[in-house]
Amino acid sequence: MQDFLMLVLEPFHEVFAGFKRFAPNILAMLTILIGGLITARVVRLLLRKTLTALNFDAWSDRMGFTVMMRKSDVWTKPTEAVTRSVFWFLVIFTIMIGLSALKVQAVDNLVAQFFLYLPRVFSAVLILVIGYVAAGFISRTVLISLVNRGYHYAKLLAEAVRLLLVVLILAMALEQLAVAPNIVVAAFSIIFGGIVIALAIAFGVGGIDAARRVIEKGASEKVEQKDEIQHL
Amino acid sequence: MNSIISRQEVRDSIGRIGSADIVVGIPSYNNARTIGHVVRAIQAGLAKYFPDRKCVLVNSDGGSRDGTMDVVRSTRIEDQAAILVHHRTDSVPVIATAYEGIPGKGSAFRTIFQIADALDAKACAVVDSDLRSITPEWVELLIKPVIRDEAEFVAPLYHRHKFDGTITNSIVYPLTRALYGKSVRQPIGGDFGFSGKLARFYLSKDVWETDVARFGVDIWMTTTAVANGFNVSQSFLGAKIHDTKDPGADLSAMLYQVVSATFGLMEDYAAVWKQVKSTEPVRTYGFQYAVGLEQVNVNVERMLGIFREGLRNLREIWIAVVGQGDFGEIELLGRAGNDVFRFPRNLWSRIIYDYALAFHHKKLPAEHLIKSLTPLYLGRTASFVLEMRDADQAGAEAEIERLCEEFEKNKVHLQNNWK
Repeated sequence: MQDFLMLVLEPFHEVFAGFKRFAPNILAMLTILIGGLITARVVRLLLRKTLTALNFDAWSDRMGFTVMMRKSDVWTKPTEAVTRSVFWFLVIFTIMIGLSALKVQAVDNLVAQFFLYLPRVFSAVLILVIGYVAAGFISRTVLISLVNRGYHYAKLLAEAVRLLLVVLILAMALEQLAVAPNIVVAAFSIIFGGIVIALAIAFGVGGIDAARRVIEKGASEKVEQKDEIQHL
Repeated sequence: MNSIISRQEVRDSIGRIGSADIVVGIPSYNNARTIGHVVRAIQAGLAKYFPDRKCVLVNSDGGSRDGTMDVVRSTRIEDQAAILVHHRTDSVPVIATAYEGIPGKGSAFRTIFQIADALDAKACAVVDSDLRSITPEWVELLIKPVIRDEAEFVAPLYHRHKFDGTITNSIVYPLTRALYGKSVRQPIGGDFGFSGKLARFYLSKDVWETDVARFGVDIWMTTTAVANGFNVSQSFLGAKIHDTKDPGADLSAMLYQVVSATFGLMEDYAAVWKQVKSTEPVRTYGFQYAVGLEQVNVNVERMLGIFREGLRNLREIWIAVVGQGDFGEIELLGRAGNDVFRFPRNLWSRIIYDYALAFHHKKLPAEHLIKSLTPLYLGRTASFVLEMRDADQAGAEAEIERLCEEFEKNKVHLQNNWK
């Protein structure tokens, strides 16, 4: 009978002993989670105040980020979007660290993979942000300089330049994230090439009249009256 | 001596000369074709009007490859009697040197100021190297008010064709006049007289590694003199005719250089111009006479075409800068036919102030912002040409005067929104 009871209670002892060994890990995880959440909230508050003081919303308007967000159906203010992103990043970061405190082999592997992937995410975000700013700047440069030269399709060409650059940037970001890199490169080549061919066909076939006008304008410029004004 | 004058031969020349009463400087870059005439005019002017003064001619060159400096060194007036000079026999000492620093007219001027400072000059003048209409009298008119202690800065006053100098007439002159309260008619004329004290003041400013060294030094010199309370005057020099500029030169790049320099100075002297409530004339030297000017052809249709392209394509930028209300007025202009196209003075002055505010508030990168002004500027210029087609020189000048008054009237808009 005694042996039978031992046999029945043994698993409970083992579970309890295991729980005793595991309890500090859970406690550590909970502490990390609570500490991390408090830190994330404090960081969110400080970041919001700092960005507001720096007029980040106005700067985003100027740089075209707000427009980009609206186009992506994001309707919060840029300051709010950044603070929320940072907050949730810190929450995920905290959860990952908390999970690693459990010292479970499978979870440890997952956490290790997450941290190994982080640099790629950072690079991709950096490429997207810098790329978007650069694309906007180059596109606006093209637009203004074509308008000042009197070209009729300035906006169309500037938007085409922006589109090509955005496609290039997206491909670079996805390649950085290692999301099916072969497919990304192939898709990029197809899309980029497709856009170029589409533009060529659109201009060559669809825009025969427009092309004729541009060519005629170019020819007539040679004989049109020249300005002799000295602006300075 | 400051390290800017690092060349041994320049230091030797300064050492030999010792000191000078008058220094006349010519900035140059590949001007061998025209600089000889300028040098002869200066030599004649110095001999004729300042025979008892110790004078030095400085050529500050940007590394010309066409022998500009050789032309300066070798140019002499062969027959002084022919230009009614009887007193002077010695030729004017010449220092011709390549300037150092950022390539540009500002760096060339800096070297001239340095040499003037080293020679302890009492009066200085700078003139462009491509002038065809310069006469010996220019030297007298730019320097005599300074040497007599009647002025510390002498700006030029030219007669130009009514359609020439439109950036000056429609932006720089009305704006600087309304801002600083002095009616200096040609603030970016390029040919100036100034005292040795003012040259030293210019040198003391920490601008020689900025855009002032590259472009915009003309407006910088005028504004610095006016805003810092130097005694400013102007001299009538007759017609200004200079070597034909590159016809392919980009108007919007030119506009960017001049306007960004003017707007940049508004940042530096905000405390000064905010206090200015009225405009006063500056003393004008020289006997004014009518000048025969060549016909200037203007392609108004092309200008209005670019204005309308701007209206179609730069809508978002213009609304962000001038606001929905004024953009509505611009839109109405776009619908007017070419013959009846008129760009109101009032609207134009508000647009310039709004661009100055946008520059101040950094609404866009400076180059994009100012270059986006080009179609509006061409619209205003076309309107001026259409309105003044049958007017004489005095009529065109009266229209510019009315524009200046609009700028003065609307200055309160700038003052209220400058934060």
